[in-house]
Amino acid sequence: MCWIALSPPEDQQAAWCWQALQFTPRVALEQGCVLLDVSVSLRLWGGLRALLAQLLRPALLPACQVWAQAPTARVALALLRLKMGDRPRPARVPDGLPLDTLAAAQPALAVLERIGCRDWGSLRALPRAGVARRFGAALLDALDMAYGERPEAFVWCQLPPVFDQNLELPALADNAPELMWTAQRLLGALQAWLRAGQRGVLSLALEWTYDLRRQDGVLLPPTASLPVRTSQATQDMAHIRRLLAEQLERTPLAAPANHLRLRTLQTEVLAGRNASLLPEDQAKGERLHELVERLGARLGADRVLVPRLVADHRPECMQRWVPAHAAGAPGAPTLPANAALQPAWLLREPLPLAMDAGQPVFHGRLQLLARPHRLDGAGWWDLGAPKFASRDYRLAFSEGWGLLWLYQELPRSGQGEPRWFLQGAYA
Amino acid sequence: MLFKYPVFAVPSRLHLADTSALPERPDVWRGDALGLAGSAVLPSGHAALDAELPGGGWPAAGLTELLQTRAACHDWRVLMPALARLAGQAGGPVVLVGGPDGLQPFVPALAAQGLPPSRLLWVQAPDAKARLWAAEQALRCADVPAVLAWLPQARPELLRRLHLVAMDHGRPLFAFRPAAAQQEGSPAPLRLLLDGSDALQVQVFKRRGPPMAAPVTLAAHAPSLAALAQRRAQRLAPAAAAEAPHVLDRAVTA
Repeated sequence: MCWIALSPPEDQQAAWCWQALQFTPRVALEQGCVLLDVSVSLRLWGGLRALLAQLLRPALLPACQVWAQAPTARVALALLRLKMGDRPRPARVPDGLPLDTLAAAQPALAVLERIGCRDWGSLRALPRAGVARRFGAALLDALDMAYGERPEAFVWCQLPPVFDQNLELPALADNAPELMWTAQRLLGALQAWLRAGQRGVLSLALEWTYDLRRQDGVLLPPTASLPVRTSQATQDMAHIRRLLAEQLERTPLAAPANHLRLRTLQTEVLAGRNASLLPEDQAKGERLHELVERLGARLGADRVLVPRLVADHRPECMQRWVPAHAAGAPGAPTLPANAALQPAWLLREPLPLAMDAGQPVFHGRLQLLARPHRLDGAGWWDLGAPKFASRDYRLAFSEGWGLLWLYQELPRSGQGEPRWFLQGAYA
Repeated sequence: MLFKYPVFAVPSRLHLADTSALPERPDVWRGDALGLAGSAVLPSGHAALDAELPGGGWPAAGLTELLQTRAACHDWRVLMPALARLAGQAGGPVVLVGGPDGLQPFVPALAAQGLPPSRLLWVQAPDAKARLWAAEQALRCADVPAVLAWLPQARPELLRRLHLVAMDHGRPLFAFRPAAAQQEGSPAPLRLLLDGSDALQVQVFKRRGPPMAAPVTLAAHAPSLAALAQRRAQRLAPAAAAEAPHVLDRAVTA
């Protein structure tokens, strides 16, 4: 048997239980210490030394100062107590362990002390019947378990189905970025929870509690929250932290906050990622959806765009730019037959051209090339479109601006001169 | 004389002209020949231009500066063969950061030239700082094959930062800047000036090699468009002589 005892910081006991649950399902919280039975998973993690290296150095949790390892849980716990109290380790373990490190012996400690029984070995040497009569059978049971003569049973830690932690802020936070320090601790606990359950987070909510009921006579809501979502389930807290930081930058706090709560809204089981031996598969850098989410978090989702082709004959309706994070898979593109003759840049709005002696002018005279290409009729399906879009498209050459794409809007019957518009530029 | 002094073979004069012993390094080159590229290159698809670029193509990692005498001056034309080749490989979208004022990329035309719509991501950044930030983030993404950024204002130290990120992540960054930036210093190892309206003139004014004598002239338009213009010119020539315009051209006598 191989037991490890850890003493995590007081407010991080739950997170440390989840951290331990990554390595073995047999984790218990006893007297403020985390106990792990790793005897069945030692080989999986590559031995005790490798397991300890991974267990004791989580990236995001506050470190665990003291740990001890022993063949039974009670011996490990006793060694941990000695370490925490800076007392020397006895030469003989477990016989030499002082009696005050055995929790079951606490009520009998004064009596035993007076009869000169100070360590586990001397208690064990006393007649069993007498000890049982004088101090109760529980002490003998505990001693037997400590010596590995009876199986040990604990209330094992269970992983909660939803991550939900509420921490008090070390100081009142006046603006949202000040929440980041505590959020970082919560993310560390979230990562331990996700890893223990082998899940990835898809969306989570950060919620803070206001310290004031009302401000300037206005009643405040008790809490406010900020949802964060990512398109692919992840355990990578760096990405979540960047998204949170970007969004907190732009979030005003209505009043100082005193508590911060993080809970998962949606998680899913995370399949392990297949690693590849080939060097070209191991590109350095983040994934595309992370880039899109990060750009969207700072610049606004409507500024990170992907194109969608639309089957329409009017050039300004042939494409639509949609936010990249919400865009599904693109459909099969239907290219117009003459796409190769169309310009690479399109004006956002067609520019009305000035006329000079019946000819359009744009930064000087334009030389019209090629014959017109006529488009006729607005789409009947598009109710917002002007009734008639009868246009003659022309190529025009400008000395200063190269090849341009113009159209002449054909006048409806009896409606004055045709108007010319600039719509595109070849580049 | 009991002591014998060691004798060193000292050449009568140092041959500075003899540079055959120069190390084969990308950052060392002869003044009269093109240097090597620092890393892999992307063939530009224009043979005349490839001959003038160190290594025979665009640098596959790092910043390349393309200065334009006017907005939207041949930017797609000069890069499109290389971008189409990148789009043919597996991977994510080419990221466009910013763009000329008032213009949007016309995706059907780009798709016809070889850059499909699924391989485009357009980031509209409101100001110069956000453009630089967005370009840097895009360079750090493993799935992005190339970044095109329109950076009218950028200080050299900020460009250097982008260049180093691009080098570090092995991705090409093409920065489009106004021609006025030619006088400013720049960390880009390759700088070009794009000019010309009916033909595309490329002047490589900074490269690892000798200065260019004259700009390279490339076809300004895609082949199908050029063919249309040429057919029109051939058709118009006899018509102009006969002074008889086609019935469809009557409204717009040139």
